[in-house]
Amino acid sequence: MLAAELVFGMLAAAALASVIATVLAVESRDLLKAVVFSALQSVAYTLMYFLLMAPDIVLVYAAVAVGIYPLILILLIKKVGRYEG
Amino acid sequence: MLRSIAFAITLVVFIVLLAYATAVGALGPLPPPHLRRLAVCVLNTTYNPALLRLGFSADAPEGVTAVVWDYRGLDTVFETVVLYGAIIGTLALYRQVLKSEERRESHSSERAEALRGGLSTVVKVATAVIVIAIGAVGAATGLHGQLTPGGGFQAGSILAVIPVVLLVVFSRDFLIRSGVRYARMVLLRNVGLIGIGLTALGLAVVATLIGVRGFVLQNQPHDGSPIGYPKWVLDVPSGGSLLFFNVFEMLAVVAGFTIVFLVLSLREDAAREEIRGEERGC
Amino acid sequence: MDAEFMRVAYMIVVLSIYVNIGVSLYAALAKPNLVKKIIALTILGDSVNTFIILAGYKLWRPGLILQPPVLTTFSPSSEALKQFIERSVDPIPQALVLTAIVINLAVTVFLATIALHMYRHFGTVNMDEVGRVKRRAIREEMV
Repeated sequence: MLAAELVFGMLAAAALASVIATVLAVESRDLLKAVVFSALQSVAYTLMYFLLMAPDIVLVYAAVAVGIYPLILILLIKKVGRYEG
Repeated sequence: MLRSIAFAITLVVFIVLLAYATAVGALGPLPPPHLRRLAVCVLNTTYNPALLRLGFSADAPEGVTAVVWDYRGLDTVFETVVLYGAIIGTLALYRQVLKSEERRESHSSERAEALRGGLSTVVKVATAVIVIAIGAVGAATGLHGQLTPGGGFQAGSILAVIPVVLLVVFSRDFLIRSGVRYARMVLLRNVGLIGIGLTALGLAVVATLIGVRGFVLQNQPHDGSPIGYPKWVLDVPSGGSLLFFNVFEMLAVVAGFTIVFLVLSLREDAAREEIRGEERGC
Repeated sequence: MDAEFMRVAYMIVVLSIYVNIGVSLYAALAKPNLVKKIIALTILGDSVNTFIILAGYKLWRPGLILQPPVLTTFSPSSEALKQFIERSVDPIPQALVLTAIVINLAVTVFLATIALHMYRHFGTVNMDEVGRVKRRAIREEMV
């Protein structure tokens, strides 16, 4: 049953990658880097949605969390200031 | 400093409690070995020609779209209203500025000057080709939502990338001079929402006119009423009202996102006119 | 070895989603910058959505292949329908998550506009400074 072990192994790897990306996004003082790490975490989540057999969610999430959120946040950061504190 | 430590300790305790509860077995055996009864019932009646004659099926091969627009259609209608409310809230702050900007544009029209702004020519040509491809993919995703994974929101999100790319590569002036104005986008959004409302109420109104019984948000004929939306389009099942819902939702989502991007990319000095005299915030 | 490995991997996924929820909640409460709060709120919403979809999955058995809840023939026989129900995952959590993603998007867009408006009023996006300015203004008004 190599297929089952492969799927669960990839799920665990994507979940651990998302934890690392979240911690890095929260702890960075440069807001542009935080946006990039948050997009990285969204890519890990998109892989998890695909492995959990939810193709509708993959379509919405890939367009929204990797396309529209970083765009709005970068427009905001340009007007507001790049560094925190 | 003390505040950060207090929050961190509270959240560590919260995570440890949740993990202990899951490990002991509070959520049942993980992963669950059988489907729930509700899921079995939904999957049984999604596309079942035998049950369709008795009036129990939703007639769409895609399970998730049928649940979103047919089994839980009222939830989705209200969620569209919530999205509409958020966009109105975004517009309400800068309505005067957007209107005065459009009045200024309609007086002078110098397209050659606006064409000079933005990025270089190579990027512009490549973007013009790619935008057509994005439009085709988005329209295809929205139209086959009842057969394979796809649908209104998915198509709307994919198509919402187009105004953003055009805003960055060509300039905002060019976008407004070629007709993508605030008033027209609001009109498109209203057309989409009226379409959703009419599709929801459609069968009830037609039934009242004819003289039989009909329900709001009804899709296929069943025991209580003999009329329904068309079942087949060309040679594939069309899921009844799901096709119309998907198309109108796609229109509404694209127009809504274009409005938001037009508001967010306003020039600073034009936007500061709106709050002149209140800069100290009190 | 099979069942043990799958159970351990599943527990790792569940625990990492809990950690994500905790870390993003901490950042939303404790960091004073508004843009960082907005980023943390989007991560929080997405983590909860992933947990909901995780609850709709099914256990693999030897010889069973899972499939998403999409029927692939236009005239299914009774046997094909029985197999479809045996193999498919739960479609109801996916529909609810679709609604949740769109509502989170609407709220985030609204929050971004309000953050921009606050920057134009106060000149800063740091909530500690804004609190200080307001407190001084109120004290001046009372005097």
